[in-house]
Amino acid sequence: MTLDQRKISPGRGSLLTLILLAASGLAAAQMPPKAPVVTMEAVPLLTAQRAKETMVNLNFRVPAGYHINSNMPKSEYLLPTALKMDLPTDIILGKINYPAGEETSFPFSPDEKLSVYTGDFTIALGVHPLHSVVPGKYVMHGVLRYQGCDNAQCFPPKNVPVSFEVKVVKEPPEHHANPAQSPHIHN
Amino acid sequence: MNRSPLTLVVVAFAVALMLYVGFHAARRTGPGFAPHFTQSSLAPDFSLESLDGKTMRLSDLRGKAVLLNFWATWCGPCKIEMPWFVELQNRYASQGLQIVGVAMDDASKEDIGKFAKEMGVNYPILIGKESVGDEYGGVPALPESFLISRDGKIVDKIIGLRGKAEIEDSVKKALDTRASTNQASASGKNLVSP
Repeated sequence: MTLDQRKISPGRGSLLTLILLAASGLAAAQMPPKAPVVTMEAVPLLTAQRAKETMVNLNFRVPAGYHINSNMPKSEYLLPTALKMDLPTDIILGKINYPAGEETSFPFSPDEKLSVYTGDFTIALGVHPLHSVVPGKYVMHGVLRYQGCDNAQCFPPKNVPVSFEVKVVKEPPEHHANPAQSPHIHN
Repeated sequence: MNRSPLTLVVVAFAVALMLYVGFHAARRTGPGFAPHFTQSSLAPDFSLESLDGKTMRLSDLRGKAVLLNFWATWCGPCKIEMPWFVELQNRYASQGLQIVGVAMDDASKEDIGKFAKEMGVNYPILIGKESVGDEYGGVPALPESFLISRDGKIVDKIIGLRGKAEIEDSVKKALDTRASTNQASASGKNLVSP
């Protein structure tokens, strides 16, 4: 056999590809269904002034082919996506703005529209350090609880850890306008 | 080296068959799916509390064909199957079918009961435990159903929402099995809805 003969011909290449595809199909049959894993994008260091609410955007991603319930699902039995934060002492959790869900129907329930998140979505969160907080860097921890499905099955609720860093700075010195000078009265 | 066109056709057919079987089995699997299940292995026995507060043991149903359905109130596809199960229970009860729902839910027993009532469920609903799910391969996604023969062996497994006809075929497969002599006596038991 010459070197040229040992090269994989286009026909053999296609056959090899088909065999690999078939093997991957069989391997897929042995894999248990995979739950969607929602991920959070790293948050750049946030500077928050004391005694003021600063908003931070938390960006999440739902993998393709899956959806999770929005914060306002359309049935009392569906579990809403919810952010729960555990903040350091004297850093108060402000408002949490959840995006509206996409109203979508799925093959498992074509006549019913569900309110879901798919792909990328952002939750805005207010952080409010009190006046008593010592300036410096603080780590905020929390979890995003969600329950996801694909077009044919649903997965038990899961938590994705949430954390981001906040640099607390002093409030700017109060700007006092100079009081009007009282006229000197010389006696 | 020259290959005859016939060889190539045979190989292509074999590969296509492997692909079909692989992808089809990925959606709907037999008992060989979970590593600890072998063909016709005995369905792991368990005792669970039903919505009416009674304890039900799976092995008490020997002699009947059982459709064991793991579900949850938060599972949309599970909700679609339930009316089908109601229909199947009505149609095949006389032939020895018993559908049993296992709620793998964090919801309260009252909420599960309310949901089942709203769905018109006519078969027993049991309050699931993680340990029972683990015995059945972890139940990583819902719905998940096991078809159990009259002699207590797993004959089919369905993951995710499938067509009604496909579920009915699996039910027939379980009904076609024969109970062993010492188990047939249990077949007379009738279970009431929640």
